[in-house]
Amino acid sequence: MPAPGAIKTLIADDQQSMRSLIRTSLHTLGITQTREVADGEDAFRALIAQPANLVITDFNMPKLDGLGLLRAIRAHAPISKTAVIMLTGRADRELVQRAVQFGVNNYLVKPFTTQTLKEKIEAVFGPLA
Amino acid sequence: MIVENISQRPGRRVHVVQGEHYVTDDPDVVLTTILGSCVAVCLWDPVRAVGGMNHFLLPEGRADGANEGRRYGAYAMELLINELMRLGARRERLQAKLFGGARMFNGLSDVGASNAAFAEKFMRDEAIPVLGTSLGGFGARRIQFWPTTGRAQQKTVTDNNDLARLKEVPKPAPAPVDDGGELELF
Repeated sequence: MPAPGAIKTLIADDQQSMRSLIRTSLHTLGITQTREVADGEDAFRALIAQPANLVITDFNMPKLDGLGLLRAIRAHAPISKTAVIMLTGRADRELVQRAVQFGVNNYLVKPFTTQTLKEKIEAVFGPLA
Repeated sequence: MIVENISQRPGRRVHVVQGEHYVTDDPDVVLTTILGSCVAVCLWDPVRAVGGMNHFLLPEGRADGANEGRRYGAYAMELLINELMRLGARRERLQAKLFGGARMFNGLSDVGASNAAFAEKFMRDEAIPVLGTSLGGFGARRIQFWPTTGRAQQKTVTDNNDLARLKEVPKPAPAPVDDGGELELF
């Protein structure tokens, strides 16, 4: 049962409004150690510089998309165990299946509620304390 | 959306209804919509000559309170922007025109104002320059938008047939959906 305040989270989304929504939801759940980046390359660099427990990443991002980020994380031993939750649109069934092949921990369909986000995080980490 | 071929008018007219969006780089396409409380955001990349329009009405007063409107709106905007980028638009080149958000009914809350405020805030947050707006007021609008050039026209709606196409009240925007069950992979 992890303490939400101990889960270091990186949010990767090219839309500032979406990052803000995710951050607000995470803070509501007590997950307050959050960082934000706007593309996959920056996300990877940020993780190398300072590892996180959880990455919440959009699929559609410039430079390196969410799937590319996921593959980069899984291929880089020091951070390969980082939990990754992918944000998708409703029509992205094929994308989710590919993400599963590459080792995604869970996915979240937009637009999502704070409760759904909590359930996805708990599916990865267990019940939040 | 409804695709119309009207011989008297040049170009293909695509009518964007509530909850939908349409993106194209076809210079012969004109996007049209009719707005009351809803907002239509018109975005285009003048370099790539691609553009699109959405048409949304934010939900209000449900489980997540005011946040729910933001969630739905951000998602509606993301669908439009992602489609533009898929056709080669660059986020940093996007320009916007905003329409709608009228106060159509005398109720306790001004839904149109909430929709308009969301659209304006979104553009500020995402640093997308707004080249034209016609928001608020008390009447319905008919919008035409040429997506490859960013040209837009607005007319006040007085025709009863047009007003009958405004089905905003019986068809509120869908609430954020839980995806449970559709894809059981975990």
